[in-house]
Amino acid sequence: MNNLDIEKREPILTVDNLTVDFNTDKGRVRAIDGISFEVMPGETLAIVGESGCGKSVSSLSIMGLLPSPPGKIVDGSIKFNKRELIGLSEKEYRKVRGNEISMIFQEPMTALNPVLKISTQMIDVIRLHNRIGKSEAKRRAIDMLETVGIPSPEMRINEYPHQLSGGMRQRVMIAMALSCGPDLLLADEPTTALDVTIQAQVMTEMVRLQKKLGMAVILVTHDLGVVAESCQRVAVMYCGQIIEQASVQDIFASPKHPYTQGLLKSIPVVREKKIPRLATIEGMVPDLRDMPSGCRFADRCQFAEARCRASSPQLSGAGTHQVACFNPLGEMQ
Amino acid sequence: MSDILLEVKRLKKHFVVGKNFLKRNRAICKAVDDVSFTIKKGKTLGLVGESGCGKSTLGRSVLRLHDITSGEVKFNGVDLFDLSPKELKNLRKEIQIIFQDPFASLSPRMTIHDILREPLDVNKIGTVAEREAKIAEVMEIVGLRPQALNRYPHEFSGGQRQRVGIARALVLDPKFIVADEPVSALDVSVQAQVLNMIAELQESKGISFLFIAHDLAVVQHICDDVGVMYLGRLVEKASAETLYKNPKHPYTKALLSAIPVPDPNDKSIRIQLQGDVPSQINPPSGCTFRTRCPEATERCKEEAPMTHSTGIDGDEHLVACHLYR
Repeated sequence: MNNLDIEKREPILTVDNLTVDFNTDKGRVRAIDGISFEVMPGETLAIVGESGCGKSVSSLSIMGLLPSPPGKIVDGSIKFNKRELIGLSEKEYRKVRGNEISMIFQEPMTALNPVLKISTQMIDVIRLHNRIGKSEAKRRAIDMLETVGIPSPEMRINEYPHQLSGGMRQRVMIAMALSCGPDLLLADEPTTALDVTIQAQVMTEMVRLQKKLGMAVILVTHDLGVVAESCQRVAVMYCGQIIEQASVQDIFASPKHPYTQGLLKSIPVVREKKIPRLATIEGMVPDLRDMPSGCRFADRCQFAEARCRASSPQLSGAGTHQVACFNPLGEMQ
Repeated sequence: MSDILLEVKRLKKHFVVGKNFLKRNRAICKAVDDVSFTIKKGKTLGLVGESGCGKSTLGRSVLRLHDITSGEVKFNGVDLFDLSPKELKNLRKEIQIIFQDPFASLSPRMTIHDILREPLDVNKIGTVAEREAKIAEVMEIVGLRPQALNRYPHEFSGGQRQRVGIARALVLDPKFIVADEPVSALDVSVQAQVLNMIAELQESKGISFLFIAHDLAVVQHICDDVGVMYLGRLVEKASAETLYKNPKHPYTKALLSAIPVPDPNDKSIRIQLQGDVPSQINPPSGCTFRTRCPEATERCKEEAPMTHSTGIDGDEHLVACHLYR
């Protein structure tokens, strides 16, 4: 599929100006501040950022799983297949979840029920969305486990989550998420809890399944290495805002936001020759309760000037590469 | 005086699991099995491996945080396991540890000041004024402001908490620090800050580290030597330069190859390991890696490979694999 094809088609998911607040003991905190993005059918969008930047809150909002209270969507819209998701009743949302949009979580041990066999958990999901009998559902579950690469699935399905290794558990999660053929899969740090060799297996499996089933994927992660290998487009988040959005090629070859560049430079990679010091981003992420009024990255940015502190730059830019910065890198002033 | 600070010889740590009350059918988990290495003064050994390979158990054995099954751990020529409790307490001043999860390893009920003061009080070091001066000094080294002293761990971010953990390890002026996955829980930009700080400590204070990690890319930045562990055994050990340039053991090659490269144009072929890490309670016969090894032969099934040096020109490059014999 080439880029022209993607542009002609309608996005499967459109998030527009999504704003989420949390009520905390110390007052109201804006966790997500007006983010907008689109996902095309069959493509993989990565949402990248460090802890607390709002990437998980975004995915929970799309799934309608935002704990409320304390969380509250105060503005914006989330359209899935042209249908508005915000404001759906719990009953309506349940039909969407699992069936049209599925999610896999970071820690498969806490996302699976420890006292139920894999078979029970998978059959429940399948039968909730399909009018089929138990044995038919079980057969489908076994097929799905086989698809995600679990050896001897007819035996494994009768086991409990604790009997499986971390990589196997994550495969079961993926099998469950895909068992009803969703159009969109939200993967929130799916391989963070896994070892590198297992991570490589699970990511290969996910990319293969995505191609086979033709679904769209939103990969929420902090690992830019994983992004480079499996995604088409990237949105970089910082302090509740999307600060740069571009194709994976552009992000890695010519990042425009100083934060993106800093992130890329600070990844330790195996090099030919050891370098004396890693590049870092000075300072720390500002407190959500006390956000700077201008650009939120200004205090850590080596290029910051007066206007960066005075007003907040908006996400803008021609074509597919957008950046929220007054002085984008690599552009003439 | 030799320049070897820590010498570990044929260390074994076996755990008995699933013991029934008649002591029958006992299963043994060989968490660390016959591991030997040395660390020279001021040098850092990186220990890499996947979860459950025994790297943390090894780190704890080196500190004598638990007993070992057999073997020797010599610190400055003295065997840690021959010491009386009193002698051990004295020696502990020189050996410190930094833990992976800075939230779990700092008491939530103590202020940063109390956390840093406690090791000095316990070991009765200096006068009160000297202790306070020492606390101020380590706070500056790890880059925390003095105002932070009166605050509690929950008020800090993960990166800052890890700085407190490092400050606590430094307050006794140790010669040797075991760092057990000190940056795994941190974000990349913070991870880079902490790694650079550790690199500075190596240079300015000449502290030796045993640096335990699961990420070979992280280890490269601060280690002189690197050892790779698999199922309780050290399968390869060499200087960092040699290991990254010329990895020999198929497992090391696979580990290096599995690191995701942050470059969408990278088209290098990945070695993908099949299956999971086998259980340590019932490990495969012969070479324990053979079940996942792309180059396994019949011989690997029958005979466990010995560790031997394949280095040239005095460069010690140890490999435990039949391919190199």
